[in-house]
Amino acid sequence: MSALRKSGTTGAMGEAHVRDFGANVTATPIAPVRFWIITMMLVLFGLSTLKLR
Amino acid sequence: MLLELAQYLAKDVRAFNVFGYITLRAVLACLTALAISFIAGPLVIRKLTAYKIGQSVRDDGPQSHLTKAGTPTMGGALILVSIGITSLLWGDLSNRFLWAVLVVTLGFGTIGWIDDYRKVVERNPKGLSARTKFAWQSLIGVIAAVYLAFAVSSPSNAKIFDLFWAWVGSGFSMTLPPKADLILPFFKNIAYPLGVWGFIVLTYLVIVGTSNAVNLTDGLDGLAIMPAVMIAGALGIFAYVAGNTVYSKYLLLPYIPGAGELTVFCGALAGAGLGFLWFNAYPAEVFMGDVGALAIGAALGTVAVIVRQEIVLLIMGGVFVAETLSVMVQVLYFKWSGGKRIFRMAPLHHHYELSGWKESQVVVRFWIITMMLVLFGLSTLKLR
Repeated sequence: MSALRKSGTTGAMGEAHVRDFGANVTATPIAPVRFWIITMMLVLFGLSTLKLR
Repeated sequence: MLLELAQYLAKDVRAFNVFGYITLRAVLACLTALAISFIAGPLVIRKLTAYKIGQSVRDDGPQSHLTKAGTPTMGGALILVSIGITSLLWGDLSNRFLWAVLVVTLGFGTIGWIDDYRKVVERNPKGLSARTKFAWQSLIGVIAAVYLAFAVSSPSNAKIFDLFWAWVGSGFSMTLPPKADLILPFFKNIAYPLGVWGFIVLTYLVIVGTSNAVNLTDGLDGLAIMPAVMIAGALGIFAYVAGNTVYSKYLLLPYIPGAGELTVFCGALAGAGLGFLWFNAYPAEVFMGDVGALAIGAALGTVAVIVRQEIVLLIMGGVFVAETLSVMVQVLYFKWSGGKRIFRMAPLHHHYELSGWKESQVVVRFWIITMMLVLFGLSTLKLR
């Protein structure tokens, strides 16, 4: 664990960006959430066809 | 802006009349805000990273949160820019409520910006002092409340001053028309007359309270923004109904001329929020910070006041309410009992984390609860 993580304070951004997402999470739900967002967008697009014709 | 252009072009090409419909502009505002967030998001994150604008993490919080230290924050600015541009593009710029909500949103965003800036850029851990922040929030909240008390009760801006002077002339005792009453959901004929003072106090509490409640909830990746998106969507429906003579009469809701345009604003808020969630989903690449949380909360509160659905906002924002109450109860009980705690940690999401739920589980479960509450809130449209 880096000094940054131990201190828990705002630290150098360089360190923040080497943070290892994979090591700390068993599953990364970012993909499903992004798929949900895409679906919502498509639903909205579909709904717009109610008026756009 | 585009509405005016469409109206101009519609003189020659009738197809452009389609942009006059609020529903279509709301959907397009949502998609536009989403697109702006997608395009500007990576750029904003790179800039925040370059300027070393990173989040600090409370040392006494859950250990799993220490890895979040240094993640770029103040990403709420992206939401505000997205909402601002989109509302100006698709909104009716002659609409008074649109401007009122935009001003309140940007006002609270500015307070959050200054607080965040001092904390993460100037490395001043105190940021804005709680008292100063609250004073500025109160100032904007009171000004908005006074304006809305008369704006909601008047069909146009021209009539606002007439009503205001009539109130002053009556020795501050004049009551407001029934449309300014506090509506009790699920009851057809029960509404509590607030009067001018009551309206101002309630509006102030709703705007400032919602703003701070969203800020307290913004402690896990995506926890605050998705409920805000869902509530914005529902308030957009309420705004459409309140601004439509036929639907408001049919659903026994007060008709507020001009409130329908807030559907476009709510669409923009929902789109900008979803676009932000793309980068804020666990594990977050960026946090919204106070600049986003305070502004979004204030926006939701202001819209709810204009469409006369304060209690429905309380229902739909149940997660925000629970988070706020958990902090209040924890602090009061801690002081009263001499050091004992009810929750393992406050706000509530930390309690569940320390109870063994994973961060993403807490977040998605709170989303599901909000979805149910929003549906429950929407049912009040018909169930009365």
